Amino acid sequence: MPGKTPDKEPVENGGYRGGKDIDMKDKDLKPKGKKAIKEGDDEMTVVVPPSKAPKQSSVPPSNDTDGDITMDDSSKAEDGEVKVDPVVQTINDIKSNFALLDRAVTLFDARFTLRALRSISSIRKRLTPDILAQVIAETFSASSPSSHAAQQLLRALDRPDVSLGRQPGPEMEIDSDVKTAGKNGTKKEGKEVIPEIDMFLGILTQVYLHDTKKFQLGFDFSRYLSERVQSLNRRTLDSLSAKVYFYCSLFAEQLAPLPPSPQSPIVSIRPALLAALRTAVLRKDIDTQASVIVLLLRNYLLTSHISQADLLVSHTQFPENAANNQVARFLYYLGRVRAIQLRYTEAHEHLTAATRKAPSSACALGFSQNATKLLLVVELLMGDIPDRATFRQPTMEAALHPYFLLVQAVRVGNLEDFETTISDHADTFRRDHTYSLILRLRQNVIKTGIRMMSLSYSRISLRDICIRLHLGSEESAEYIVAKAIRDGVIEATLDRERGFMKSKEVGDVYATREPGEAFHDRIGACLALHDESVKAMRFPMNQHRLELKNAQEAREREREMAKEIQEGDLDEDDLGGEFDGM
Amino acid sequence: MSGSAEQHLQKITHSLKTQSLPLSDPQASAALRDAKRRLLQLNALTPSTIPSQNTALLTLARETYEQGALAAIRAKDADSFTRYVNQLSPFYELPPDILGTANAPERNKVTGLYLLLLLTQGLYDKFHSELEALTTRESGGATNIENDPYLGYPIKLERWLMEGSYDRVWKAMKKGEVPCEEYGVFSDILTSQIRSEIASSSERAYPSLPLASTKSLLFLDSEGAVVDFCRSRNWTIKDGHIYFPSAATAAAAATDDEDGEGGPQEQQELSKMVIQNTLGYARELETIV
Repeated sequence: MPGKTPDKEPVENGGYRGGKDIDMKDKDLKPKGKKAIKEGDDEMTVVVPPSKAPKQSSVPPSNDTDGDITMDDSSKAEDGEVKVDPVVQTINDIKSNFALLDRAVTLFDARFTLRALRSISSIRKRLTPDILAQVIAETFSASSPSSHAAQQLLRALDRPDVSLGRQPGPEMEIDSDVKTAGKNGTKKEGKEVIPEIDMFLGILTQVYLHDTKKFQLGFDFSRYLSERVQSLNRRTLDSLSAKVYFYCSLFAEQLAPLPPSPQSPIVSIRPALLAALRTAVLRKDIDTQASVIVLLLRNYLLTSHISQADLLVSHTQFPENAANNQVARFLYYLGRVRAIQLRYTEAHEHLTAATRKAPSSACALGFSQNATKLLLVVELLMGDIPDRATFRQPTMEAALHPYFLLVQAVRVGNLEDFETTISDHADTFRRDHTYSLILRLRQNVIKTGIRMMSLSYSRISLRDICIRLHLGSEESAEYIVAKAIRDGVIEATLDRERGFMKSKEVGDVYATREPGEAFHDRIGACLALHDESVKAMRFPMNQHRLELKNAQEAREREREMAKEIQEGDLDEDDLGGEFDGM
Repeated sequence: MSGSAEQHLQKITHSLKTQSLPLSDPQASAALRDAKRRLLQLNALTPSTIPSQNTALLTLARETYEQGALAAIRAKDADSFTRYVNQLSPFYELPPDILGTANAPERNKVTGLYLLLLLTQGLYDKFHSELEALTTRESGGATNIENDPYLGYPIKLERWLMEGSYDRVWKAMKKGEVPCEEYGVFSDILTSQIRSEIASSSERAYPSLPLASTKSLLFLDSEGAVVDFCRSRNWTIKDGHIYFPSAATAAAAATDDEDGEGGPQEQQELSKMVIQNTLGYARELETIV
């Protein structure tokens, strides 16, 4: 799938979950700095070369707009003539995507659609309602059947009075009429605007409304848009509709009773999302399927409907070749569900995969941070101590600091430190949704404490254990140690009459199966990695036909050669004969 | 018509509340059946069918289910209790201004009982899912829940059970710290649960135990009870001490009996596994190279 490129939707990652811990300054600066590189990246990642063609085809409309602006406001246009006006530039950028969408429809190749979607991140910062309204006005003609859709777009942008088909400007009416007839008329009004362009403009409107925090308006508009996308039923709309749902639920999350409350609007969009999921599965629409599953999971988790989330996961199948970002998100949410259900091994597996699949660029830093935090807690719950290096990464260090303190407390087995860390950073942990998981760590701290004690003393009285670990009473200590022995945390025996714990000699680990098993696991992981990377390779379409053709040619050549040789043999014989004769 | 039905319902819930009968009692079950039928007539079985202005009816429906749940617990009927809790959950998700805050104690009581039930049934994953939902639903956060007498009780029990402080669980059940009589129903189940937990950890932790102190260890009343308990778990008693048929000695006995047969067999299994793994690597390597 073309969506395998890691930076498909960088800004969403940054703005959506990200930025929780990133300082606002950073968040604002980074995307800007990234932008230039990003665009370069995008060009690099796309294998197919035809990037030049759409650019050229976008030239005529750009001239067009220039002309229109000259008519409208001559002084401004003169500026535009000298150096490219940002407004004009943006309009051109948006329009250049239409060509991509057009191509996507004619060639039936989703890659072009994805490229158009990718460019949203660069257009995003420059969007204004006027620019959008202008593009809409120029794209749709008043007479076309989709003008109703355009009207809806304009209403959402709060520019309902913009007339379609041309620039608003009553004093220039006659002129622009002539203009349309001369320039636009033949080319644009002749053919109907494809729904893809319509949807693309809809998504841009959603993005604009979201960036300007008009959540209620955006939510209403998104509801309308998602209904429309559902009714259109075109395969080329698939990746676009995934985006529509994405923003729809994003708006819902921002609306009045915020998520944890069960009255939040996100509850009300669940039926719509479930319906969308059903249709997507029926239509084998992988993009929408993947993103709607992720949205639903997020939705359930926001209101803490864990069992519903669990049921959703068990009743749906996440598409295997979904876009990488969606896979990472899915794994993260799944990891959270499993962690809450105490299935730590599975949670650990999913979260490790999620952190590895997370885009490495700074845009999705928030996601990697959150996934790493959860992963750390799960590792602790499993009784492992996370790697020190995790906390040293410059992008993570600050955000992970509370967790670092936590790990220290657990590692040493100091119950007091543990309690203070929890109470000091309770708000952080609650915000990260890890608080209740962290509360479960208490027993791990105690266990580690007992293990340390059993390693350092060959014999220690229960009273001392009780004092060292700040346990309530000696009886508690006895029960706890007995449980630890049964759970295999320590190798020791208790003496009830004299009240002490006696450690057994620690055996040689290398005499057991353990190293062999660890070795086997690692080899397994390496082999799986190899398999996955082989699967992830992409081959240009129809390349094998070319090869086949080449092979066929080669075979023919060979046959000819063989024939020649055969003939040559004869010749040689003949020659030989002649030679002999000579 | 509907007014009289509501009045009747009110009467039923009121009588259920004051009498607090178990579900097995014919009077209670008849009353509940009657109440549910009337709810059905009023089309008020779920909150979605009740107009949100009609708070009186909402309250009535909710109280019916609550009383039903409590009656089920008194009758130790876990299945019907779970059913009532499931019926109640959409009511508890209503916004507080519609639901009214006056019912908080009853609601927490039922939720706490449900948590306790999950705990005694060993359904820890559901327990934690429920808990997670509670922590996010309550605006006050986790501390608020822990301080609530009804909700805090199962949470504390779970924590103590997990870390192994069984004596605290025991104390919590004994010293009149049980928040209300319905919670007492679970005490017996919990007692036998912790007793078997202690027994299984003792088997591993102690080489032997003096009979006298085992009584307090297992929270039993008399030495006779200790002896009975030992018999039920196949422990041997010899001169005032309890010896466990521990896994280690059992294994040792087995190897003694078979005279070293177990060793080679295990060895064989191990080498088989190693060979299998190595062959697997070889196959994989071949596909790569």
